[in-house]
Amino acid sequence: MTVVQTRPAAPAPPAPQRRSVPGRIRVISGITVASLALLFAALAAGSASAREGLRVIGRDAGPQVVATAGLYLALSDMDAQVANVLVMGDAYPAQRREALARYESQRAEAGRTLLQAFELSGDNPAERDTVQSVLDGLGRYERLAGQALLLNEQSGHPPGPPPEQVVRTYRDATDLMRMVLLPQAYNLTLESGTIVRATYDEKAALAPLARTAVVVAGVLALCCLIWLQLFLARRFRRVFGPALLAATVTTGVALFFGVTVLAQDEQALRTAKSAGFDSVLTLARARAISNSMQGDQSRYLLDKERADTYEHTFLDRSLSVMYVNAGNLTDYHSAVATRSTGFLGLLGPELAGRQGAAVADAYRGFQAADRSFRDLAVSGRTNEAVAARLGGVKKAFDGYDQAMTKLADSHRKVFERSITTGEGALDNLWRLLPFAIGAIGLLVVAGVWPRLKEYR
Amino acid sequence: MKRVLAVVLVLAAMTVAGCGTGRPASIMDKDTLVIGVRSDLPSVGFRKPDGTYEGFDVDVARYLAAGLGKEFVLMGVLAADREKVLQDGRADLVVATFTIDQERKRRVLFAGPYHISYQDILIRPDERISNVRDLAGRRICEVQGANAAQRVVEERGVKAEVVPFADYSACLAALKSKQVDAVTTNDVILAGLAARDGSGLRLANALFNEQRTGVGLAKDDVPGCEAVNRVITRMYQDGTARKLLRKWFGEQWLKRGIIAVPQFEGCS
Repeated sequence: MTVVQTRPAAPAPPAPQRRSVPGRIRVISGITVASLALLFAALAAGSASAREGLRVIGRDAGPQVVATAGLYLALSDMDAQVANVLVMGDAYPAQRREALARYESQRAEAGRTLLQAFELSGDNPAERDTVQSVLDGLGRYERLAGQALLLNEQSGHPPGPPPEQVVRTYRDATDLMRMVLLPQAYNLTLESGTIVRATYDEKAALAPLARTAVVVAGVLALCCLIWLQLFLARRFRRVFGPALLAATVTTGVALFFGVTVLAQDEQALRTAKSAGFDSVLTLARARAISNSMQGDQSRYLLDKERADTYEHTFLDRSLSVMYVNAGNLTDYHSAVATRSTGFLGLLGPELAGRQGAAVADAYRGFQAADRSFRDLAVSGRTNEAVAARLGGVKKAFDGYDQAMTKLADSHRKVFERSITTGEGALDNLWRLLPFAIGAIGLLVVAGVWPRLKEYR
Repeated sequence: MKRVLAVVLVLAAMTVAGCGTGRPASIMDKDTLVIGVRSDLPSVGFRKPDGTYEGFDVDVARYLAAGLGKEFVLMGVLAADREKVLQDGRADLVVATFTIDQERKRRVLFAGPYHISYQDILIRPDERISNVRDLAGRRICEVQGANAAQRVVEERGVKAEVVPFADYSACLAALKSKQVDAVTTNDVILAGLAARDGSGLRLANALFNEQRTGVGLAKDDVPGCEAVNRVITRMYQDGTARKLLRKWFGEQWLKRGIIAVPQFEGCS
């Protein structure tokens, strides 16, 4: 504040005080305007970053998880329906028609979700390649499955394992589905989770920085406004400059509002991810794996040679969904039946609460049905095993799947609500900011201009 | 005024500097990765007399490091050390026929699997064992730290007698001297052992348990795990995976199964 005094003496006589006062007013006003610009720049940058985070998580990766999980379920169900038709043989005409109709509708669903996944993959080349590869494979699968169904129709076998030739053709189809198509669909779902995790970590690290920058710039702007006010008061012997006072108050309000909105968005993003998205993703993965489990049951019935392998895959998937320390399926069945809490595995952390308990109950029911179904198969009562697969086991699985869907829906609602809240807060901020900028600008001019005019 | 400003700026700088230190360590923050590979498995991970390593896993490790844009150093690990080297930070990645299972997942994080193999049985040329049920009542070799032999007994419920050995060369010697009747583990390991041994030991072709071979990482390195998954996807999409399998296990090997990106375990 001693700019004038420390200036070395000029050869000309020192400038009269009259000239230096408007100069200083201009300098102080300049700094004030610059710090105000800094405040609004920081606010704009912080809220733009928050908006980007909400967009990626809420409008991009979130829907991508739903689309790719839908793709997995449709594909997996197509294969399960083919397996069901093959074990029905020449019995169950109504259920066979129903299974074939379901195969068709799931095929359409797969096509629809593939298209959606392709659109949502944007310019991610690896994701696009994956979608393309699934599309190519789906054509091949349909051909093989069609052949297996035709051969099965012609063979007219009783319920249970179809003839060798049918099994061989189906094996090609199901291998393609389970080893090529389903893994790619599943990995697409995981990739969406990766995008969300990376975006969230980046935004979560950035948000406190943005908030600090806004606070620092805001405090600076407030100080400058007060400084300007004090300077003018001292020079012109006025106690108040109403316009500048109003500008100061407006800046304070804008600062408070801006910081609140940024904090709200940080919170919204956190809730959307940890209370919404993470659970939606986990449940989508669990549903995908579980759906393959019921396919493994039909495949276990229809392919004697590979029955051991399919039983092992069933156990492997069961362990990854709900883990208890069990070396084989029999141990697993009894462990699941007697235990109600403390599961590890994918579903472990999701089982808290009433809806979670419903999922655990339904899962226990499904495993109990699996146990009696396998007992029938092992004791050679193939007809009854087929009936159990198409009756009790299917019913138990549907109940379990519905319980998971219900739980996922409540998390999806939390997710969508948080995204909407976050975006709404940002919309308000962006609607009000231009007015605040305009008002503060006008008020500063109104406060300073008359003083400068006194020197004209 | 200026002093106030300076204080505010210093405070701001301290806040900024204070952030970014709470994150767990990730392989993504390193320039050079230490990658654990097996040193005792021919064609998979094997230390040559000159001290360099070769094999399928070694080439996968090389591809991963290049894909992540990192320099790397290889470190030989035995089956029993794989979890330990990750837990105490001696290795950043373990690419050493590390089969993913739920029990191990409590202690290490798995990227991949980068390869799906099956459990198979290695037998003497005159032996008749053709599937896992034929192992009942026979002696099978178990390498310490590996769980393959245990899985025959527990998961498949086959009553075989499990005899422990330190590594696969001891197992093979025991097989040839009839101390044990079979060695069972990943088919790729067995194929490499049989090819190197050259005395006519053969695979029974009893593909039973699906084994998912993953890349081990420290438990909390989610970003690293996700990055490795992306590189594995690329390894399959650009044809490298097929090329490496052909290079190490031969053209015939490719016909045993479908070569495609495996379903990943997921990083979280």
